[in-house]
Amino acid sequence: MEHRGELIDLIDLGALPNGESRFTSFLDQICDRFELDHAAYAGTNPVAGNIHGYVNYGKDWKEHYVKNGFHNIDPTLHRAAKSIAPVDWRRLERDKNFLTVFRDAGDFGITHQGLTIPVRGPFGDIGMLSVTRNTSVAEWDKLVKHVIVDLQSVAVHIHDTVMRSDVLSQVLRFPTLSSREKEVLQWTAAGKSQQDIGDILGISHRTVEVHLRSGRDKLYALTTAQAVGRAISLGLIYPL
Amino acid sequence: MIIIVDALNKDRFGDLLDEMFRLRARVFGERLGWDVDIQDGKEIDKFDHMDPAYVIGIDEDGHVISCVRALQTTGPHMLADVFQSILDGEPPLRSANIWESTRFCVDTQRLARGGILNAISRATCELMIGSLEFARRSGITDIVTVIDPIMDRVLKRSNNAPYGYVGSAKPMGKVHALAALLDCSEERIARVRSFSGITEDVFASEDVVRDVLDEVKLVTAATQAGMGASITPFPTSNPPIRMVSHAELMEYCQDQLKSAKSPLDVRAAQSLVSTLISQSKVTHAAHLARPKVN
Repeated sequence: MEHRGELIDLIDLGALPNGESRFTSFLDQICDRFELDHAAYAGTNPVAGNIHGYVNYGKDWKEHYVKNGFHNIDPTLHRAAKSIAPVDWRRLERDKNFLTVFRDAGDFGITHQGLTIPVRGPFGDIGMLSVTRNTSVAEWDKLVKHVIVDLQSVAVHIHDTVMRSDVLSQVLRFPTLSSREKEVLQWTAAGKSQQDIGDILGISHRTVEVHLRSGRDKLYALTTAQAVGRAISLGLIYPL
Repeated sequence: MIIIVDALNKDRFGDLLDEMFRLRARVFGERLGWDVDIQDGKEIDKFDHMDPAYVIGIDEDGHVISCVRALQTTGPHMLADVFQSILDGEPPLRSANIWESTRFCVDTQRLARGGILNAISRATCELMIGSLEFARRSGITDIVTVIDPIMDRVLKRSNNAPYGYVGSAKPMGKVHALAALLDCSEERIARVRSFSGITEDVFASEDVVRDVLDEVKLVTAATQAGMGASITPFPTSNPPIRMVSHAELMEYCQDQLKSAKSPLDVRAAQSLVSTLISQSKVTHAAHLARPKVN
């Protein structure tokens, strides 16, 4: 029933309830300072196996990107991560996944002219700062040459800051449970059966089961009782 | 000519990397006597499995004549790990703008064979120019490089002296190893260029390098097939092979001669053509197995 496959969990750190908007505003500052259109930071966590990040792209592109699962194939992340040098996206143009991701980007005002700076950390962690600028090729080359030293520093800075900050451990400590998952756990805590919960919420018991399992996984719990206990202790649901 | 091979294009250059690993085995295993792992004649360590970038120098015959490996100092690299002793117990440098370069070597055997000692220095300078320019355009300002005293002397003599060292020289096999610092400034690049007289762009495109490598393979295959033809009977047990018409062969030969740019290319093309024509009675499609560009 439950199928998460090999898909990578994408966490928008900027969208976390407790803000952390400082990173997103840092990206805005990078764009201002270096005359860039957009900037994005993505990091891979070798332990949790997910990608977390911040972007200052528009909300509609972000949604389109996630909806299509582009973070699973985007070569500006997955291929660039294997380089030690900044990867100009021209190097990825022949990649069919590049075409898939950037075919629609134009409609969202996103240019395919960009650069990804990969950063390797000491723990096998990898961060990537991607920047774009819609301009002529000659202007782009001139700009990159002019700002590349500073961009390298900035890329390492944001990666180290994210790694050192408690944002990542917060992701682990405060799992991002959906409201449905919380609801199901809340009713479970109240002693209701899956059938009862389905009736209460107007969803099938199978759907209840799916949300329960997913919530359990996110809480790293082996049993439902354990999951309820953890959810209570994390303040995600109320004790009854 | 210089090419950068990294995780993004290594699929295309597996043969080149293999030759580089064999060169490293000869230099670091045999000549310098370092404690390196050599398997199947190739020296490969764990850092080669961490997607480094290689700057590789190739001669006109497609042979690897020089190479060096680059890693970021922000992540795992040799000075932080296996070369710790050089740093006298101090932590390694870690900076967004510093790369570590290791396994810097030049195929002195091959280059000295031509009797021109100059070629060694030229190959070293070409590799230095390639490395410095690659680093510079990547936003790297400085390189910390692990070298032996001979390479240190070569650098000094090529108007490319390190501006400093970290830690101190430590015995490593038959020689010492030391960590030298080089800035990637335009001034340094200009000094090396003026010393070596190399004014042209040292980088060759992936396509050009691939063509050179394929061309060499073709010549080798044709020569071997030509030499073997008198003792090896025409293979009959193999799957049927399309015979090449005389016209096709002539057209191919003309193409080869026309596309030859350097005197060396011309000579290679001429020898290929004469081999092919003298063997044309037994020439089959396998000799002309050259990828068609559509």
